[in-house]
Amino acid sequence: MALDLGMPILVVDDYQTMVRIIRNLLKQLGFEEVDDASDGTAALARLKNRKYGLVISDWNMEPMTGYELLRHVRADEALRTTPFIMVTAESKTENVIAAKKAGVNNYIVKPFNAATLKSKIEAVCGA
Amino acid sequence: MALAAKARKTTAAPDKPSLIRELVEIADYIAHLRTEIAALRANELTRDRLPMAHEELGSVVEATAGATNSIMNAAEEILGLPDDKNYRAVVEARMNDIFEACTFQDITGQRIGKVVEALRQLETRLTRFAAAVKAKDEGGIDPAEVERRVRNELLILNGPQLKGPATAQDAIDAMFD
Repeated sequence: MALDLGMPILVVDDYQTMVRIIRNLLKQLGFEEVDDASDGTAALARLKNRKYGLVISDWNMEPMTGYELLRHVRADEALRTTPFIMVTAESKTENVIAAKKAGVNNYIVKPFNAATLKSKIEAVCGA
Repeated sequence: MALAAKARKTTAAPDKPSLIRELVEIADYIAHLRTEIAALRANELTRDRLPMAHEELGSVVEATAGATNSIMNAAEEILGLPDDKNYRAVVEARMNDIFEACTFQDITGQRIGKVVEALRQLETRLTRFAAAVKAKDEGGIDPAEVERRVRNELLILNGPQLKGPATAQDAIDAMFD
């Protein structure tokens, strides 16, 4: 299955430079519909208003972390099937296991490169 | 000092040697404490060194943000260039902008060095003071620290590890295969 380059993607990170980096990488991959939010609370508000094909989220944010966002998304009937990739500097095995248990589709450790992001999006969203 | 000297002179009084000796000890201790407090040079720390550390770290944050923006602007401009005869000239110009932006590292390195030195001074003086007054930490933990620890534990906030990721991307990938 080919990637749907028209699908909207939500990037959640409190560090604007990282949002800009991911946005540029996604643009290079052909994705043009990219929105962003600076924490889980802002992301949930966006998710309620638009159907996203993918969420790419950082873990460590305030007030709502990416981990909490993931659990909210998976607990919400309307959002629970939204593909979710965690992109974070939280690299302990306990973090990965907790995210996996909470229903994350894939997990990228920062710093990462374009190839890693591309392969994870392909693994999660088809191709 | 004057109190201790005065008390010492009166130690000859035979009827109250114990009380006088205790007063002398207290006076000596207070004098010692004053010396140690003076050695802390707390005014210099709060007037000069700590504000300097704040300012230097603020400048580091500003410089790194500025450099990152310059580098990203140049990269974004290169990515958006049309494939025409000016392509190479513009790429070279933007590459020079990137090199120029990277000079932030030298300056920020020096700024961080000054902050590290200030912290080292603070640590040395506090260690000496704590040893001199035989300071013991008050029992229990600061409530704000308790709250921070509980949040970190609940939300599994470990932060970046010191020497690179604790779990390699390959190992994580294996967990998702």
